[in-house]
Amino acid sequence: MSQFTFQAHAVTKTFPGVVALDKVNLSLTPGSVHALLGENGAGKSTLIKIMTGVHRHDAGHMEIDGTLFAPQSTREAIAAGVGVVHQERNVIPRFSVAENIFLETLSADPWKPINYPKLYRDAEHWLDLLEIDADPSTKVEDLPVAKIQLVEIAKALALKSRILMLDEPTASLTQHETERLFSIVKRLRDDGVSLVFVSHKLEEVQEICDQVTVLRDGRNACESQPLEGLGRQDIVRLMIGRTEQIPTWSQRDCRDRDVALELRGVATQAGHTDVSLSLHKGEVLGLYGLVGSGRTELAKAIIGADKVTGGEILVEGTPRNITSVADALHQNRIGYVSEDRKSEGLILMHSVLDNAGITVWRRLQNAIGAFTDRSVEKAVSPVVKKLEVRTPSLHQTIGNLSGGNQQKVSVAKWLAANVSILIIDEPTVGVDIKTKAYVHELIRDLADAGTSVLLITSDMPEMVTVADRILVMDEFQIRGEVINDRDYDRVSHEIMQHIHGSSEVAAE
Amino acid sequence: MADIEQNSAPVRNPVTAHPPVRQMTAVQRFFLSNEFGLIVLIVLFTIIFASISPMFLSNFSLYAMGRTAAVNIMIGFSMMVVIVTGGLNLGVGAIGVCGAMFGGWLMQAAGLHWLPACFGALIVGALLGATNGVMIVKSGLHSFIITLATMSVMFGAMIFLTQAESFREISPAFSTLGRMKILAVLSPMLLTAIVIGVLLWLAFKFTTVGREILAAGANARAAELSGIRVGRMITYAHALSGVLAVVAGLMLVSRTGAAIPSMAGQLGQDWLLPAFLGPVLGGNLLTGGRISVLGTFLGAFLVTMLTTGLLLMQVGAFWVQTYLGLLLLIAVLLDLARRSYLARNKLV
Repeated sequence: MSQFTFQAHAVTKTFPGVVALDKVNLSLTPGSVHALLGENGAGKSTLIKIMTGVHRHDAGHMEIDGTLFAPQSTREAIAAGVGVVHQERNVIPRFSVAENIFLETLSADPWKPINYPKLYRDAEHWLDLLEIDADPSTKVEDLPVAKIQLVEIAKALALKSRILMLDEPTASLTQHETERLFSIVKRLRDDGVSLVFVSHKLEEVQEICDQVTVLRDGRNACESQPLEGLGRQDIVRLMIGRTEQIPTWSQRDCRDRDVALELRGVATQAGHTDVSLSLHKGEVLGLYGLVGSGRTELAKAIIGADKVTGGEILVEGTPRNITSVADALHQNRIGYVSEDRKSEGLILMHSVLDNAGITVWRRLQNAIGAFTDRSVEKAVSPVVKKLEVRTPSLHQTIGNLSGGNQQKVSVAKWLAANVSILIIDEPTVGVDIKTKAYVHELIRDLADAGTSVLLITSDMPEMVTVADRILVMDEFQIRGEVINDRDYDRVSHEIMQHIHGSSEVAAE
Repeated sequence: MADIEQNSAPVRNPVTAHPPVRQMTAVQRFFLSNEFGLIVLIVLFTIIFASISPMFLSNFSLYAMGRTAAVNIMIGFSMMVVIVTGGLNLGVGAIGVCGAMFGGWLMQAAGLHWLPACFGALIVGALLGATNGVMIVKSGLHSFIITLATMSVMFGAMIFLTQAESFREISPAFSTLGRMKILAVLSPMLLTAIVIGVLLWLAFKFTTVGREILAAGANARAAELSGIRVGRMITYAHALSGVLAVVAGLMLVSRTGAAIPSMAGQLGQDWLLPAFLGPVLGGNLLTGGRISVLGTFLGAFLVTMLTTGLLLMQVGAFWVQTYLGLLLLIAVLLDLARRSYLARNKLV
C-alpha cells in the first residue's frame, strides 16, 4: 500500500509539434493541500486534463492508491475519485442547486423520473457540510458568484472525490469569501481529502498549502516539496527563472520624446476606474499583468471597441473621442493586434490578401467606393514579404497557414495600414520559438522606425526583452512602473512585487 | 479525437507544421465548384425533360421559363445578400409585396409615370429593409426573430392601407415589359435579372462596402476589430435585400398587369422556398462570409426549370412542392459531401 493517494511518474504528453508535459512527477499525500504552480502555458492545465480523463498521456504512468490509473474518459476519472473545480464556471445556470450538484448521476437511468424531494434532501447534506446558505431548489443563476463556486465544490464532493483539484478557485472571490473557502478546504484536508490548489496568488498558496510542485515549460521545476522553508522569492524563481534565454538588447529610454498616446484618469465599462499612462513616440511600453487583470479590456477601450466612461484619451496631445475601431484606425492611426488570433484577429475563411488588406480598402477605394485586388496586393505584399509570411500565394485561405504565419498576417494588416500607434496583445501565444524571436525583433524595428508600441504580455522574458518601460496592471489598476534595464532578475522581481503586494517582500 | 486535442492543446511553441496545400488551376477549381455541379444538373434535366416532352424546348416554354426564372432569381438574390451576413430575411415576400403595392398605388392613384413609380417602390423596399437592419443591429437579436415579426407587421399594415384592394390601372408601357419578347424567347425581365446579377457580382468583388459586408458576415468580431462598422454593413445588406425583393415584386406586377396584395401569398410566404432554394443550391454558406452570385442565379434557374418540367409532365402542383423540398435536401447533402471531399484531399 502506497503512502500516496496519487502518484504521477514521468507523465509525458505531446501535442502535434509541442511537448506539453515532459516526464512530470506529482505525488499527493492524503490530508494535504498541494500547490500546483507555473506560468501560463507551463503545463498545469494539461496535467489536470490528463488526471481528469480529458486527455490521454503518451508515456509514463499514474497510480491511485498504488493501482494503475489511466482514465479513458472524464467518467472514469470521476469513478476513481478525481474531482475538479474548474476556473471557468462549469454549472448549468438554469438548473437548480440540487440538479447541478447531482448532474452526473441525474441521467443514470434516463427513463426513471427524477425523485425531486429525495434529490433536495440529498443536496441539503452537502450544502450543510459546506455551510452553503441556499435552498436546493434555487436556480444557480440566482446565486452570487461565491456560492456558485461552493456549489461546484459540493458537486465535486458529491461524486465522492478523494482527490479534489481547485483551479484558480479564488479568482472571482472577495477576501471574506476566500477565507470561508479556505476554512472549508482545511476541513476537507483534515477529513483526509487530497487537494490540489492552482493559483497565481502566492500569498494564498503560502497560507493554505503545505506542499508544492512547480512546472516550467512542461517540466518539473520542483517536485512535491514541502512548502515550509520556501520563500516567495524561491517560488517566483522556480516559476520564471530562465535568465539564460534572454537576448540582451541595449536599454532604450524614450521618456523625453513627445507623447503619442496619453490616458488621463480613464474609466471604462469593463471596470477600470482611473487609469493614466503616456506612451511616447517610438517607445515600447510594456503592460504586464496576469490573465484577468484588465489589460486586454484597457486596449479594447482605447481602440473604441469597449466603452470609455470617464477620463480623457489624447492622441498626439489632442483629446479624442474614439467610439469605434474604424475611428481609431482612420482618424487616429491606432491599430490593435488581438491576443485571440482565431476569433478576433483574422477571418479564417478568407484569403491572406483579404486579411492583410482589410485595413487598407478604404484608403485605396476610388470615388465610387471600388478598388481592385491588384492595388491591395501592391499595398500588402511588401509587408507580407518583410514579415516572411510563408504562403503558397496571397489567395490562399488563411486558415490553412500555420499558427506562426497566421500571427504574422495579423500583424501585417496593421503595418499595411501604416498606423503610428500599435497595441500588441500577447503576440507570441501559440507561435514557435523562432517566430517568437522574430516578432520581438519586429517590434523593436517598428519602434526604431518611430511607431509607438503598447505591448501587452504576461510572458516575463518577453517583457524584459522587448519593453523599454513596464507598467504593471492588477485588478484593473496600474500598480507601478518599472524602468527596464534588461536585468532580468531585478526587473521580474520588481514586477512580481508590484503584483503580489510589496509589504511582505519589503519586510524580508 | 485527434482534432479535439489539437484544438485544446495549450500551444506554447507549436512547430509550424501544416499539411501542404495543393494548388489548382482556375479550370480545375471550376470543375470542382458548386456552380459547375449546377450547370451539369441543368443540362441533365434539360435533356430529360426535352426527351419526355417536346413542348419543353418550344419558344413559348423557354420564354415563360425565363420570365418565371427572373422573378425567382431576384427573390434568391434578395435572400442571398442577407445570408452572406450570416443572417436571414424572412420578410423577402412581405417587403417585395409592400414595395410593389406602393408602386401600383403611385401609378394608379398618384398617376405617376411607371419609371418614377418603380423608383418610389424601390425606395420603400430600401427603407423597409433598412428598418429591419437597424432593429437587428440595435437589439442584438437574430435576424430570424426580427424579420419574422416585421414580416407580419409590414404585411398587415399593407393590407390595412390598401384595404386588400388591387391596383389594376397599371401603365400599359410597364405591363408591356412583362409580355415583351426579344428574339422570340428572351424576356426583358430575365435580361434585367442578368444585369442585376452582374452588378451584384461587381459590387461584392470590387467595392469596399461589398467586401466589408462579406468580412462582417464571416467573422463580425474580427471585422469590427479591423475597423469595419459591422452594424452599418448589416443595415446596408438588409436595405439592399429590400430593394431586390421589390424588383421581384415589380416583375410580377408587370407580368400580371396589376398589383395584387396576394401576389406572394399570405404574408408573402409563397416566396420563402424559392428565396432559400436559390442561395442554398448556389452554395452560399448559411453562416455567411462567402457569396456566389452565379450560384444563386443558376440555383434559381434550376428550380424554375424543374417546376416547369414537372408541370409539363402533368405532375400535380402539390407534388412539385414536395419535389422541390426533396431537391433542397439532396442539394444540401451533395454539397456537404463535396465539401468534405475537398477538405479531405486538402483542395481548399
